[in-house]
Amino acid sequence: MLTFVIKRLASLVPVFLVVSMIIFMIIHLVPGDPIDSIVQIGSTPEQKAELTAKYGLDKPLIVQYGIWLAKLATGDLGEAIILRQPVSTLIAQNLPHSLILGTLALVFSTIVGIAAGAVAAIWKDGFVDRAVMGIILLGSTVPSFWLGLLMILLFAVQLGWFPVSGARSWSALVLPVLTIGFGGVALVARVTRVAMIDIARRDFVMMLHAKGVPAWRIQLQHILRHALLPVVTILSLRIGWILGGAVTIEYVFARPGLGSLLITSLNQRDYPVVQGCLLMLAIAVMLGTLIGDIVQAAMDPRVRERMS
Amino acid sequence: MRSTTKAILLCGSALLSVALLSGTAMAQDVTFVMPARDVGAPSYNPIKGTRLNAATTLIYDRMVIQDADQSFHGQLATSWETTSDGMSWTFKLKPNVKFHDDEPFNAETIVWWVPKFKGTENAFMTDAIEKVEVIDPLTVKFVMKNPDPNLLFNMASSFMGIPSPKAFDAMGDRFGVSAAVGTGPFKLESFAVGQQTVLVRNDAYNSASKLSTNQGPAKLKKITLREIPDDSTAFLELKTGGVDMLLSVPTDFLPRLSAERATKVVTLPGTEVYYMPMNTSVEPFTDIKVREATAFAINQKEILASLFGGVGAEANTFLIGGLAEAKVDPKFRIAYDPARSRKVLDDAGWALGPDGVRAKGGVKLQVKLWTQNGTEFKRITEVVQAQLKAVGIGADITVFDAATITAQYRKRTEHQLAVRVYSWANADILDWFFSGKRLGHPNHAMWNDPASEALNEKAMKGSRNWDERVTNFRAYHENLLSQFVFAPIYQPVQNFAYADARLSVPATIRGTRLQSQTVVDIEKK
Amino acid sequence: MTIKSDLISKVLRNPRGGVSAVVLLVVIICAVFAPLIAPYAYDVQALRNANLDPSWTNWMGTDEFGRDLFSRIIYGARTSLSVAVTAISISVAVGMSIGAAAGYFGGMFDRVVTAAVDLTWSFPEILIALILIAIIGPGLNSTMIAISIAYLAQFTRLTRAQVMALKNETYVEATANLGAGHTHIIFRHLLPNALTPVIVAGMLATGDAIILEATLGFFGLGAQPPTPSWGAMMSSGTAQIFIAPWIIIFPGLAIAITVIAINLFGDAVIEALDIRNRLRDS
Repeated sequence: MLTFVIKRLASLVPVFLVVSMIIFMIIHLVPGDPIDSIVQIGSTPEQKAELTAKYGLDKPLIVQYGIWLAKLATGDLGEAIILRQPVSTLIAQNLPHSLILGTLALVFSTIVGIAAGAVAAIWKDGFVDRAVMGIILLGSTVPSFWLGLLMILLFAVQLGWFPVSGARSWSALVLPVLTIGFGGVALVARVTRVAMIDIARRDFVMMLHAKGVPAWRIQLQHILRHALLPVVTILSLRIGWILGGAVTIEYVFARPGLGSLLITSLNQRDYPVVQGCLLMLAIAVMLGTLIGDIVQAAMDPRVRERMS
Repeated sequence: MRSTTKAILLCGSALLSVALLSGTAMAQDVTFVMPARDVGAPSYNPIKGTRLNAATTLIYDRMVIQDADQSFHGQLATSWETTSDGMSWTFKLKPNVKFHDDEPFNAETIVWWVPKFKGTENAFMTDAIEKVEVIDPLTVKFVMKNPDPNLLFNMASSFMGIPSPKAFDAMGDRFGVSAAVGTGPFKLESFAVGQQTVLVRNDAYNSASKLSTNQGPAKLKKITLREIPDDSTAFLELKTGGVDMLLSVPTDFLPRLSAERATKVVTLPGTEVYYMPMNTSVEPFTDIKVREATAFAINQKEILASLFGGVGAEANTFLIGGLAEAKVDPKFRIAYDPARSRKVLDDAGWALGPDGVRAKGGVKLQVKLWTQNGTEFKRITEVVQAQLKAVGIGADITVFDAATITAQYRKRTEHQLAVRVYSWANADILDWFFSGKRLGHPNHAMWNDPASEALNEKAMKGSRNWDERVTNFRAYHENLLSQFVFAPIYQPVQNFAYADARLSVPATIRGTRLQSQTVVDIEKK
Repeated sequence: MTIKSDLISKVLRNPRGGVSAVVLLVVIICAVFAPLIAPYAYDVQALRNANLDPSWTNWMGTDEFGRDLFSRIIYGARTSLSVAVTAISISVAVGMSIGAAAGYFGGMFDRVVTAAVDLTWSFPEILIALILIAIIGPGLNSTMIAISIAYLAQFTRLTRAQVMALKNETYVEATANLGAGHTHIIFRHLLPNALTPVIVAGMLATGDAIILEATLGFFGLGAQPPTPSWGAMMSSGTAQIFIAPWIIIFPGLAIAITVIAINLFGDAVIEALDIRNRLRDS
């Protein structure tokens, strides 16, 4: 198992290098530059050129990339041009907000999704199945910002139960978590439902029935447990969403977060920050895939053999 | 197992304390929402910063400040005088003033402070000062390189907030980010860019200006300034009691706000102008006739009445109405005149086509109309598009983000028309927009005309005192108006809204913006 | 031909399939015949009638420029559907080509494609689209390109999996042994068989693409004014949310109804074809 993990980790190194290169180049493809955002009314074109040189933006792109990579090797993400702080500080300020929101939303959609999927699978094709899956389908078929705005109108403005925006108290998390979580429920529920229906047809389940094991025990202890594997796989692949997918909701609820930091910095062309955020996301995505593989391998020895 | 229990207990108590804190708002603790345009301002470093937010003047005092009528008043300076040739200025300083770190403020501070601007993005503000001389511990003399009638205006800007020399030198680039030390009525407690700033009262404050009723420390004990990029979210926060005051409210919200009894709105003259530059270097705007027709097609009155409920003012020149340089000869003012537009276009040979768009020699009068992200921008642009159509000019809108649009302007030949806004309360903005040195950006009109350049030179460098400067800039302004390089659109006002039940705010705001001189008088009910 | 008509009747006899087919047909008719159906022009302003409540003259009220919201929603179907369908078609076509080549030839090319796909597949589509639009500039065309690239990984992955599975089937191996060329095998045997699941996945993704287009519109990218799109309408409606909430509610409902119909219809097709397992295995 350990060799499996080490091998997988090692295979990530070249991927990481390529990814860092793509990230660096992609942001420099965006028209415009950060210096325009920091020159003052009244300053001269020469002053702009000086500033451009000060931030090293006049060097060839490949040289700039080399400098960035060399710094990265020492763990330095660089200094924000417009925000004037170390990129690591900015990420440290924003990442926790994304993690809390994303994790809670994930927990919400996993629990509700598995429960709903299980209920729908047990009463397959009946009224309950249709009703549950129908309601859940709604969550994935409306734009999340729309759902968020309606939630604000109802629960924050009309009823006054929760704050409209911000990240200053736990109650401010409720509406964003529900908005994002509701969107994810459908995916989890669908995967759970289909997996359970599938497993219910397998031989070992038939055998359990024949042995006279109570139906509820078969459903919960045997079928649902086996159905969790595809759910875990899907979720581990979605880790990028946890960190960066909430950008729309962060905007609607005026919350800080990695997604908002990325988009604000992209709009201002604050290159080092954009690179830092994208790098964090890419690392998270790679680790997510890795964790998914490891979990799969741990739960299913055949996977381990196939992948090592 | 024990550590788990401990963790749960810790989490629980953290939750409990958050709940308690949010439940009981403490006396004289308030939450403001930062103006939307200030969101993301990266630091409180007045010397090196290029974007400062509305809280900056609460931390730092300036030598002089302005009232709403643009008149100058002393804050850290008690009085000043200049020689008739404009080559020296003498300032008397307020005694017994201390920075938040207990360092004294005196003539030595100014000697240290002025040269600090050299080599920064703000260097142009103190460019005309040759050196600072100490006359006595509370008197300084600025020896000038050349006369700068604009000196007091520059001194009153937020960038002229004076930081503690000791803290500034010790902290280097971290100054203004992790800590900020001034002499102002509030101390910086914490700052997370894009999120919030927490200020606490400076109990030793003694440098209030005569513009404030309260001459002692501020009444509010703690101000949390939240950064909320979306105006409607900020408004909903005020409505539901999440915050006490909004430091900016878009003018198109005012009709709605007047329906809310619990909120009060205070209005100040604005420093913004919405305008439409025309790229004079590309067809069809190389022709002054087309520019004239375009400028007179804009219905300022309709935009003011329908989009902004009559709040604010029509823009008929390129400067804000409050400036003396904006009082031009009436024949130069640009005000809606569709008959004139149509006639000029007819005369120039642009004949109306069947689809309502004019054409000449097979070329349609169909132009690019650019705008930026943001509700007010898009609303004005869509109305402008319809107004141009009404005189036979077809316009295709493209919405850009700010950085992309600037990159496009730099290409010089890509753009034709655009809807833009600037915020500046001085006639030297004309130099910024029309100097031949800055073609492309910010000279979006691509205006580089010898006669205009000469007038610019005279206005910028050839004025010895304020009155001469006004005359010279007015002449330059009239010249530009006569060339129809911009189409002026609208002048917003500044609006602040607060919860009447929770705050008492002075009836008149003293200053060109809501700054420390007024905030020290704000009180929680 | 009989297989096709059999499929259609199977889908339509399924109650969900039938209802959703009717709804989709209505939306498509609205999009195609918008000028005939809409009671007003979508771009004529009447500033005096701004933000009117829904009434008999304006069924869904008016927007901030006094334009009839109902008419704009009808025209908006045009923008939203055409962007989503075009984007997904491009995505499916390109994704299938890359996926088929990777799955069939394997080797280094396959490994590079798989790595790229794994990485982008786990990246939020909205971020991919936002970054791409920042590079190529705003507008309907760039929205289409951005959406098609954002979904590329999904179809590449799916096609690759299908082709890998089919490649080892006996009849393909037999054809190869008989000396058939790569082109022949890919185009005559592999792709036609891989096509069905990919097309169905594409159909479902069209729903997601409509939402993505709306989200981009919400950020002010996408359709340029005065062209109506459901997302852009909601974007300008947010500023009016407390005096004229219908400006965001109706376009949102239009999206919800359309996307639900697409999903139900897709499900009915999947059931009729009995290909759920093949979609999932990828």
